[in-house]
Amino acid sequence: MSNLALKLEHKSTKSTDTKVFKIWISALTVAFLAGGYFIVERMITGLSATNLSSITPWGAWIAFYIFFVGLSAGSFLLSTLIYVFGMEEYERIGKAALFTAIVCMIVALTFVLMDLGRPERLMNAIIYWNVTSPLGWEVHFYLVYIALLMVELYIAMREDLVRAANTNTLKGFVARLLTSKNSTINTLTKKRDHMWMKILGTIGIPIAILGVHGGTGTIFAMVKARPAWNTAIFPIIFVVSAMVSGTALLLAMYVIKRKVQKKPIDQKMIISLSKLMAGFLIIDLGLQFYEYLTGWYGLEIEHLDTLATMMASDLSWSFWGVQMFLGAVVPLTIVFWKKTNQNINALLVAAILIVVGIIGVRFNIVVPSLIVPVFHELPWGDYFPTVKEWMVSVGVVAMGLLIYSIGELLLPIEETSEEVSHNGK
Amino acid sequence: MGLFSNWDLKPRDYDKIVDQKLPNAEKVLNESQYDTKLGLNMARDARKVINGSMKIDDFHKVYSSSLTMEFGSYYASDTPDTKKTNKGPKWVMVIDLQKCIGCDTCTVSCKAENRTPPGISYNVVMESLEGEFPNIKAMNLPRPCMQCDKPACAQVCPTRATYKMENGIVVIDNDRCIGCRYCIVACPYGARSFDFGDSYEQEMTGYNDVTSPEYGVERGERKKGKTPIGTVRKCSFCFHRLQRGEEPACVETCIGDARFFGDINDPNSVVSKLAASPRAFRLKEELGTQPSVIYLR
Repeated sequence: MSNLALKLEHKSTKSTDTKVFKIWISALTVAFLAGGYFIVERMITGLSATNLSSITPWGAWIAFYIFFVGLSAGSFLLSTLIYVFGMEEYERIGKAALFTAIVCMIVALTFVLMDLGRPERLMNAIIYWNVTSPLGWEVHFYLVYIALLMVELYIAMREDLVRAANTNTLKGFVARLLTSKNSTINTLTKKRDHMWMKILGTIGIPIAILGVHGGTGTIFAMVKARPAWNTAIFPIIFVVSAMVSGTALLLAMYVIKRKVQKKPIDQKMIISLSKLMAGFLIIDLGLQFYEYLTGWYGLEIEHLDTLATMMASDLSWSFWGVQMFLGAVVPLTIVFWKKTNQNINALLVAAILIVVGIIGVRFNIVVPSLIVPVFHELPWGDYFPTVKEWMVSVGVVAMGLLIYSIGELLLPIEETSEEVSHNGK
Repeated sequence: MGLFSNWDLKPRDYDKIVDQKLPNAEKVLNESQYDTKLGLNMARDARKVINGSMKIDDFHKVYSSSLTMEFGSYYASDTPDTKKTNKGPKWVMVIDLQKCIGCDTCTVSCKAENRTPPGISYNVVMESLEGEFPNIKAMNLPRPCMQCDKPACAQVCPTRATYKMENGIVVIDNDRCIGCRYCIVACPYGARSFDFGDSYEQEMTGYNDVTSPEYGVERGERKKGKTPIGTVRKCSFCFHRLQRGEEPACVETCIGDARFFGDINDPNSVVSKLAASPRAFRLKEELGTQPSVIYLR
């Protein structure tokens, strides 16, 4: 009798599960279609759909692009903590981290595509590669990085794929497509997979740190025309804030998913992950402090103007409100205050706030520096994203979430076995 | 020429007409005391040299011995020195700030010459007041593209669409530019603009009829989605005018005669002499971009 009750309960959770999933997917589809309209419009009318100008040539889309590159690099580096450095306590989110990294890169590159004046010529950056251009290098790094992530995700999923191939579900069908007939799981393959994960993760670390995210930081740091960007610490801040946002995003996604599925949450992992996230955030804040201090102390007029635009202008709500208060003060309080630091809901709020805060960080990197003109006599920029820019962004993000949701439906990304495999040991 | 043939004369037909009018080379050469065959061969190879299929050095190598035999001491020509001793011009602009009256004629003539759309000015005059009233000084600083010797824009362009030519001009290949605007961000002089596709058609009929032939490329009508719309644009020292032997529009129209244009490789040119003046300075020299626009303070 009790067995029957258990079974019934299982069934009912499953049906609510699919219901929630359907609502989620249809909401995303609506958002994607609404954004898609503006994406098509932008492709037809060109960049006049934006508030950009020759004074402020980069705006929201570039901010979102570096935000998603950061999320990707951050979640990948978190996955290396698991697969390379053997932090098994986070293994539950290992594959999700890799898949998130891939989807974030796709979203980031779509934002770049949206931002190009001539999107149809995108391939020129590969055909006519200029080796002195940080951006030229980045395009290549991104492609190598995405390829590496895909291989690594495949290997991480291989065991689950082989297991799923025997089932008669949609997942099983996809798994049969992706695996050969005589794939097996035994100690030998476990060892081999584990070795490859370690090798690929190790190759991936320098690519992610130096190439993808540090590299994206150099796109800005190399620009001597903009003193607020042109510092050696800039790429490092990029990498660290990538770690912050990546950890926060994975924490939030794990908790939300588990809550929706009504599955038990690994509280110990969440708490330790939140400490890791707070640690990264504190390092990030420290680096930023020195960055602003040197700029301010240098008394260079353009640098001061940029800092003033960021911290004491109409746009300063983005710095003080989003980046500092919501993105740093509140989450740090939650993580370290005794009353909240064991509460999963509070930690979830902290993680989401950090992700939002990092969006603010990215906007505050791109926009203030470009509002200040290169000569004092030239007109100042006046930039705030148009509705069209926001809608295109919504569409692109919805596309990314759709890819993620469908991918999770088709691939064994969630840890299926209750027992964590402990690195194949 | 038949009844249905095309009556237009083709280049080949003109060649035939010319050939008919020409004297017979063999006949003429036979009348001279020198070798006919040598003359005919040299004429054939000289054509090759002109159309580029033969090098001038090879031409001299082949014929110098037989020419010495034929003409003896009268033959004195050696292989011309084809190594570049003279690199050709390197264009430089000198702007005398003491002569600039801030009339913005350069800005207007540049706009007319290059037909730049709203929001784009290749040349601007940056005006500022220094000091406090009544002890004030007006400063006019015209700013075209600096055509830097070490251009930050070309350094960061991911596609090599912008690059430095030997004559000193930094050009943009608008057919290759992907419109990422990294160069605009990287230019320390704000000399680059993005073509958002705006037009003066509302105020000025016929504005869209023709695009300026920048870099000597005729692009015809200005239409939605057609290059250079969606790419980056900048001052080219009016390269299309230089090709015709004219000065840039801003130099030609400057009312105070404050602008000078010329070849810095020529030590006797006006710009070389002015550049050597103690009044000469360049903008943001500390950035190491080495601009080709020199100001006289």
